[in-house]
Amino acid sequence: MSTVSWITLRGLFGRRRFLLLLPLPAILVLLAVLSRSLGVEPGEWGPPVLVGLGLAVVLPVVALIVGTGVLGAEIDDGTVVHILTKPLPRWQIVLPKLAVAAGVTAVTVAVPLCVAGVLADSVRLGLALAAASAVGALAYSALFLALSLLTRRPVLLGLVYVLIWEGLLGSVVSGTRVLSIQQYVIALADRIAPTGLLQGDVSVPVAAVMSALISVGFTVLAIDRLRSFSVAGETS
Amino acid sequence: MPEPTGVIHDIGYQRYTGPRLGRRAVFGALYLHGLRTAFGLGRSAKAKIFPWLVVGIVTLVAAAATAVRSQIGEVVMTYAQFADNMSWLVIFFVAVVAPELVSRDLLSGVLPLYFSRPLPRSDYPVAKLLALATALWLLLGGPQLVMFLGAAFTGGDGMRGVWNELLDLLPGLLYAGLWAAVFASVGLLVASLTGKRAFAAGGIVAVFLMTTPIVGVLSIMPSQTINELAFLASPSTLVGSVGAWALGDLLGPQASVPIGGFGPVYAVAAVLLVAGCVALLLQRYRKVAAR
Repeated sequence: MSTVSWITLRGLFGRRRFLLLLPLPAILVLLAVLSRSLGVEPGEWGPPVLVGLGLAVVLPVVALIVGTGVLGAEIDDGTVVHILTKPLPRWQIVLPKLAVAAGVTAVTVAVPLCVAGVLADSVRLGLALAAASAVGALAYSALFLALSLLTRRPVLLGLVYVLIWEGLLGSVVSGTRVLSIQQYVIALADRIAPTGLLQGDVSVPVAAVMSALISVGFTVLAIDRLRSFSVAGETS
Repeated sequence: MPEPTGVIHDIGYQRYTGPRLGRRAVFGALYLHGLRTAFGLGRSAKAKIFPWLVVGIVTLVAAAATAVRSQIGEVVMTYAQFADNMSWLVIFFVAVVAPELVSRDLLSGVLPLYFSRPLPRSDYPVAKLLALATALWLLLGGPQLVMFLGAAFTGGDGMRGVWNELLDLLPGLLYAGLWAAVFASVGLLVASLTGKRAFAAGGIVAVFLMTTPIVGVLSIMPSQTINELAFLASPSTLVGSVGAWALGDLLGPQASVPIGGFGPVYAVAAVLLVAGCVALLLQRYRKVAAR
């Protein structure tokens, strides 16, 4: 494990505020267990819990906070200079940070989704949701990591994507769903474990190709942006 | 030890003897500054992008609704429904503005400067809260005014039509005030917990978005009482339910929020939520760390 990823992990977990992330997955599991124990039809509670809460809220919000936190927090503090002045190729800075962000997000989201999926339908659905959300975590993390290098307000721009593009437009205009990571995750999970609980609007090849394209593309963009990164003060 | 021989020269230093503005002026200045901060006035263009993006979208929606109504004659949404339909944008606006209002002061450690003025501890959070609530109310009320102007003066009913529209508009504005009070108090409380704007924005969105699916799950539980009380779980559905109880038909078909006979419970819950958030906010600023 490289020093950069070690520093990043300590930056994420070293503060108490990371504990604020834990209620999100906990509520997901809690609702699934509650619905299951009260004997509600899985067809009724599955979509609101798995998609409405898990894939539409928990995954993007955790990815947003972690993905912008790994590099954006250091840029805000100005401590990114310490890493930038070391004789490291830029990809050796971006890739470990991306790995940490995607790994932390995937673990935080995939475990509760897996539990909820097992409770809703079968072990297969649980594993499918875990695998698909791990893919989604990688794509979201790459996107938000690149955003934190492109703009000084990465969280707000990320929120525009999550809230307005995926949330508001995605539910009204179906055309925007082709460019929505949330829909890719749903399509992939539905392909691995076909059930009636998930309704994918995007075809599976499109979802797979676009997820890979977003992950690789934004990583390359982030490495390129970090090459010519200029340290500036806080925006007024 | 020799006798001290130095003298203190009178270099003409004068005390300020003019009128001193008291607590009310400090409060007013904080409030006005907060309101200007909310919309990025007096700040760089970068600070204006996100607030005015939201303002632009809501105004555009209102203009579109007005245009449809004046051309086709069909009421797309009533004044009260407008706030409900804009809830995602309201959440985003709170996530943009609330951290600007309180988190920056926490991060840069300027709170001791504020509190060294003749300013009671409680005035600072209350002024910020009022500023955020006013900004939210303007965000929701302004577009309703656009809809009112469009509807009242193209209706062709003369003064009678204008008066009827006004009677529809006023409950809508009151309802927007309820939205503003609830969302401002919850959002500002979350934002005041952290100095990092990024974390504050994420936390606000998490609180508002996380609670909506809980309503969805609770409302399919096998118990009618739980179903009818489910809308307590999320701020936006709570406000919607109070509106459905108090405004009735102005908010569209009654069946959209099946709260049964629990209307007064929702009203009390909304008041308690705002009061509780304000109390916690005052508690937070009673002993806030300098850094």
